Amino acid sequence: MTDTPPNVPIRPARRSFLERVSIVWIIPLAALVIALGVAWQSYADRGPLIEITFENASGIVSGQTELRYRDVAVGVVESITFTENLHRVLVAVRVDNSVADYIDQDAQFYVVRPEISSRGVSGLETVLSGVYIDGIWNEEAQGLVTRHEGSDDTPLMAGDRGGLMIRLKATPDAGLTEKAPIVYQGIEVGRIGQATITDDGVTVEAEAVIFAPHGRLINTSTRFWDASGFSFSLGPSGARIDFSSVASLVSGGVTFRTVVSGGEPAQPGESFLVYADEGAARSSVFSDEEGPALDLTAVFEDNVSGLAVDAPVDLGGVRIGRVTALSGIVDPEQYGDNRVRLAATLSINPSRLGIEGSEVGTDSALNFLAGRVDEGLRARLATASLLAGGLKVELVMVDDPADPEAVLNREASPNPRIPTTDSDISDVSATAEGVFERINNLPIEELLQSAIGLMDNISRVAGSPDLRALPTDLRGTVSDLRAFIGSEDLQRLPGRIDGIANEIDTLLARLNEEDAVTRILDAVDAAKEAVSEASTAVSDSVSGLPALTERLTAVAAKAENVPLEQLSEDLSALMQSTTAVLDTDGARALPEDLGDALNELQAVLKELREGGVVDNLNATFDSAREASDTLRDVARQLPSLLDRAKSVLAQAGTTVQGYDADRGVGRDLATALREVERAAAAVSSLARALERNPNSLLFGR
Amino acid sequence: MEIAGNIRSARDLGLVACRRCAKVWPADTSECGRCGHRLQSRDTGALQRVWAWWIVGMICYIPANVYPMLATRTLVSNQENTIIGGALDLAHHGSYGIALIIIVASVVIPIGKFMAVAALALGVRQGSRLSPLRRQQLYEVVEYIGRWSMIDVFVVAILSSLVQLGALASISPGKASLFFALSVVFTMLSAQSFDSRMIWDEDAPERADAPAPRGVTA
Repeated sequence: MTDTPPNVPIRPARRSFLERVSIVWIIPLAALVIALGVAWQSYADRGPLIEITFENASGIVSGQTELRYRDVAVGVVESITFTENLHRVLVAVRVDNSVADYIDQDAQFYVVRPEISSRGVSGLETVLSGVYIDGIWNEEAQGLVTRHEGSDDTPLMAGDRGGLMIRLKATPDAGLTEKAPIVYQGIEVGRIGQATITDDGVTVEAEAVIFAPHGRLINTSTRFWDASGFSFSLGPSGARIDFSSVASLVSGGVTFRTVVSGGEPAQPGESFLVYADEGAARSSVFSDEEGPALDLTAVFEDNVSGLAVDAPVDLGGVRIGRVTALSGIVDPEQYGDNRVRLAATLSINPSRLGIEGSEVGTDSALNFLAGRVDEGLRARLATASLLAGGLKVELVMVDDPADPEAVLNREASPNPRIPTTDSDISDVSATAEGVFERINNLPIEELLQSAIGLMDNISRVAGSPDLRALPTDLRGTVSDLRAFIGSEDLQRLPGRIDGIANEIDTLLARLNEEDAVTRILDAVDAAKEAVSEASTAVSDSVSGLPALTERLTAVAAKAENVPLEQLSEDLSALMQSTTAVLDTDGARALPEDLGDALNELQAVLKELREGGVVDNLNATFDSAREASDTLRDVARQLPSLLDRAKSVLAQAGTTVQGYDADRGVGRDLATALREVERAAAAVSSLARALERNPNSLLFGR
Repeated sequence: MEIAGNIRSARDLGLVACRRCAKVWPADTSECGRCGHRLQSRDTGALQRVWAWWIVGMICYIPANVYPMLATRTLVSNQENTIIGGALDLAHHGSYGIALIIIVASVVIPIGKFMAVAALALGVRQGSRLSPLRRQQLYEVVEYIGRWSMIDVFVVAILSSLVQLGALASISPGKASLFFALSVVFTMLSAQSFDSRMIWDEDAPERADAPAPRGVTA
């Protein structure tokens, strides 16, 4: 108890490190390891940084805007800076490792923004959530490419639908609208991309995509045409309005159809023509694309309008190509003046030239044409259609070319130049126009008015008391005629003529009896020396002649005084009145309507006949015929009478010839006889005419 | 029973108290005869554990501040906020009070805890200008406040479960919330690991000279 051991400091043995270190240190170590591991892993997992340049960075927020592929976020924008020279915006995107290898040279990037177009609204979700960068790349990993150019427009293949890329070329009269849909059977199966103008500035080309799986619809026989707007046509089946879809009506569009079977499947990048309408597209199957076309230029001296793009180019009547472009050309060096000439670009289809050989290229076609040009082949403008008045280009052999040395200029720019000759343009259009104009100017309405007036007139005339009185007048005329023919004067005429002849006979007999001639001759013979004496004797001997002459003259006067003139005047008056009836303006203006008029007349006449008038007329005609018979008899007698008179007069003539001193007698006599003769002839012709056509009394013919 | 100024610890009297059932045993007893707990006059590994937890807590605290605490997704925007960023955002919008609360709860207090624990642990070895009483009070504050450090995590958890309006808006906890919670947990463990008796041990050498029997030999 008292021996407390000294307080020896006891130093316990130093425990080993492991003993001293608390086990709890494992926890911070583990935490450290985990933290380091996580840090390393996140660093290792961090994908590569790619750089995309854009025109602008509207809507892109660093640290927030995502890069998406098939709408899955595969990266995020880390920073937004500028490229050198502030030219574009450089967006750095941290992409996931899983897709990094796929972002190769073919990758495309674009910013999805809300877009409102005629086709609808797209990218609407980005209105609220902000824009994102959409990446498009294919399924082949070809290694990461860190620098990319972002496209500012939505690429055609957007939406990862995949499809067939083709190239569309518009014909000059068709249009290509950017981003317009390609519609097939009313379904949008593709899209037209950025349209560009070709180098020659003539046509428009555009990339287009046919979305999978519609690409199989396209083959080499497929024809595209412009379906924008609508077409309106009026045909035998009625009016027809066509438009493919309302979207294409507004924004333009293209549709297609495989017109003939047997095409090869289209390859990516294949180019197709876009025609103006379906008709052109369908007909194109039979007209072109049989090989590369040969372009020629023809410069025409004539500045004529009417040649249009797509006008045919003919060789020997066969269409071998078409006009693809028209322009004016001024070339003082070549032509020596500053006149503007018409330069037409001709697209010749070599396979249409009929050259032997399976493969007909543009070279052989050019050689062929060059050879023909040496023989005189020239291009000229010709009328394409008689009615439409368009022009075409004809390649014709000219027998005697104005410039025999002209050759096909192969070095001409931009195309080989084919020599031309004078145009063969018939101004058919003008003629046809004239015809149409004249038809147009025909006074149809006036004609109808005239016809109506004529009808009115005819009906008025037919219904007029004058015409009704006509038969009566005719009867009176005929009875007058008959009275005349039966008149004593006329009845007496033959007798009197007979008497005249008798008297002439007796006169001649007396002359013969008196042997005047002999005496005269004797006197002449005897008294040649005493001419005066003889002549006195002769005058004495013929002193009785004046009386005869007077009587003959009186006879002639009487014959003249016969009321033939009155008759003929009456007849002609009748005829004139008939003619006047028919000679109205209307009748003359429209002879073809006379038929109707005559029908009317017939009807009128039928009415008349039914009224018994025609019977009267017939009776009248009978009377007239009797009268004409009488006349004919008279006329028949007249020739013999006249023969006799003629012979008498011939005798008298010979007799009278002797009397040179008294020629007046003979002349008078001859005159009288001619008058009689003429009268007789007139009567006989009248009789004949009446016999042939009693109606002529009516109608004056 | 004890007179001020002459405080004698159990250790001074050659005793050791069981930390589980508080029965006092002679100093060389290795096991509590009542509850079987291992007896140790001073937890020699306590400081190591303090530092170990402290380090883990610190490790966790870094991502808790770097990563976003809250992910707010609305119709028009996606927003992820770190703790400080969110507080600054709030301050920017005029909610200075809330910003202050967040700053205090999420930044000031955790960092204060780290500093306090570190100071206590250092003070055991190297002494401190603060009196042991103050340090004891500091320790008690740290112990007490530890559980409230989770307020941030609670806010996130409540917001996340409340604001789930489908497409319109939703709030989800960010990675930082997990780290923050871990950090709080580790800090609490660190604080708990601290053996507060050691605060007072620095007085021991001075009292060693005092005429006090080292131990009562029985």
